[in-house]
Amino acid sequence: MRRGAAAIAYGLALSVGGLLAGRAFGADARAAFNLRQVAPGVYVHIGREVLPDAPGHEDIANIGFIVGTRCIAVIDTGGSVGTGRALRAAIRRRSRLPICYVINTHVHYDHVLGNAAFASDRAVFVGHAALAGAIVRSRAFFLQHFAADLDAPATSGEIIGPSRLVQIGHPLYIDLGGRRLRLRAWPTAHTDCDLTVLDERTQTLWTGDLLFRGRVPALDGSVLGWLAAIEHLAQMQNVELAVPGHGPVARDMAAALVPERRYLKALVDGVRRDLGQGRSMQQAMQEVGAAERSRWVLFGDVNPRNVERAYAELEWQ
Amino acid sequence: MRRRRIDGGRYAAAALCGCGLLATLLAATVSAAPAAAFADPQSPGVGAWEYLQPQLYGDRPIGYVDEKFMSMQAPTNTQDPAMTPVSLRFGPGAVGNIKQIRVIIDNNPIPLAATFNLAPGAPIAAIDLRVRIDRFTSVRAIAETTTGRLEMRSVWVQASGGCSAASGAASAGKPGEIRFRPSPDDKSLQVSIRHPNNSGFQIDPRTGNPIRQFYITHIGLRAGGQPLLEADTGVSIAENPTLRIVADRRLPTPVTVAAIDSDGGHYAATWDGTSSHGDVAANGAADAARAP
Repeated sequence: MRRGAAAIAYGLALSVGGLLAGRAFGADARAAFNLRQVAPGVYVHIGREVLPDAPGHEDIANIGFIVGTRCIAVIDTGGSVGTGRALRAAIRRRSRLPICYVINTHVHYDHVLGNAAFASDRAVFVGHAALAGAIVRSRAFFLQHFAADLDAPATSGEIIGPSRLVQIGHPLYIDLGGRRLRLRAWPTAHTDCDLTVLDERTQTLWTGDLLFRGRVPALDGSVLGWLAAIEHLAQMQNVELAVPGHGPVARDMAAALVPERRYLKALVDGVRRDLGQGRSMQQAMQEVGAAERSRWVLFGDVNPRNVERAYAELEWQ
Repeated sequence: MRRRRIDGGRYAAAALCGCGLLATLLAATVSAAPAAAFADPQSPGVGAWEYLQPQLYGDRPIGYVDEKFMSMQAPTNTQDPAMTPVSLRFGPGAVGNIKQIRVIIDNNPIPLAATFNLAPGAPIAAIDLRVRIDRFTSVRAIAETTTGRLEMRSVWVQASGGCSAASGAASAGKPGEIRFRPSPDDKSLQVSIRHPNNSGFQIDPRTGNPIRQFYITHIGLRAGGQPLLEADTGVSIAENPTLRIVADRRLPTPVTVAAIDSDGGHYAATWDGTSSHGDVAANGAADAARAP
């Protein structure tokens, strides 16, 4: 129901936008790519709340960039080369500085498929140490399911992996001129290759998908690892602004983490209860997390998979 | 020769990537199998079945039964292609009267996921398993009754991606650890065998090469000293192979499980029925012994 409504709403927006763009020769197409300066030199594009197989799926993640005095770092590139190009065009309307770094917060398509739009910038691609392998594993899958989001003919060469890796426990510092970014690799949480980016000057933390707001969190790593990461994030001092992977930017990160932590805790508690009663994975998928349904967007589409993965993780505890 | 390829899941080239990541490698499998086994992905209702039916059942008639005899549940849109739960339920007229059930996933590279041979009179009212689904496909179960009748149910499952992680959070651990999870009424028991069940087509990201095939080929269950079921399993079974058996009465104890993998490893464990319910860790790991 919700999914249908979201798809229809986006379909309308798309057709209206298409009409406007057609008549105004791109002026409105530019306006259609939302971009906001959330802190000095920190720009965020907010993604749409649709499913990975719905129209608009190429633009569901929050992506953006940070501008120093010397050069620019891009943080995530969107779910298509076109989205990456729209981001690059938005950058070029604001700055002629070179794009030195393209940072990917994790392997999911909606954060990495725009990388090819930056291939000509001679940027250093940066990611979690596990991202390199995750990209290698995912190339065939991306080509199979997201070929239309790459330049035709879609090739694995368009799916660019990291050339500089960040190890767990060893933060990487990147200097953009007048500002330094601190990149931190996390143990398995949302995925096995989560990376956060802290802009030290404005104390803006890009959480990647360690933080979902509004859109129901999608579990692809470890539910216990994710809860542990949330504890660490909630204790971080001095963060002025959090840019989540999905949903609106937050002034109070600890408060913004509360719903996500509550949801993941409900998953763990519900699955453990079902395991304790000898209930099956299928039964758990139908009942665990039900109290959270009204609190999230796309809940019905994503929650059963989260339960499934949590079940497979916790049954071996 | 052909029969051996599709039956028992032991064919050396049997392979299925858990995450639907095998596009570049599919060609190798396709060339090793009849083209008919690979249907247009837009038409999941046919797939390998047209080829398999004469192989497995000749020209015997197959009935399409109603839910009262046998039903099958699987998510229409699989949540995780590497681990899709499938439930088979048997009505009162079927319990004790079925001798074999095959589970076939038409559009998987090796369609035959499992063959369950039930002991005579086995009081099994449901079997839950978890399979890998490569793409849009029919999943079908064919039951053969003790009188030789064949009955079938099928469902469509759309595998629509989202799986870029190679293995689950519980992928680590010692192969062969076995866990039992009984329900409070002792009528159902979940048996989980920790095992990577590598298909041979998953890719090692460090080398770009396929990970060596290594999977559970057989699971035998006994209850109360009597055989309950024997399952031949293939690479379409998900990591950490798990069977959940629901009986129409209390399962007699002890329940023993004996499993064999493709390297000849033997794993066994016993649930004596006296452990507390819920998170029961069995003695499987201690019993596990590798064949020389």
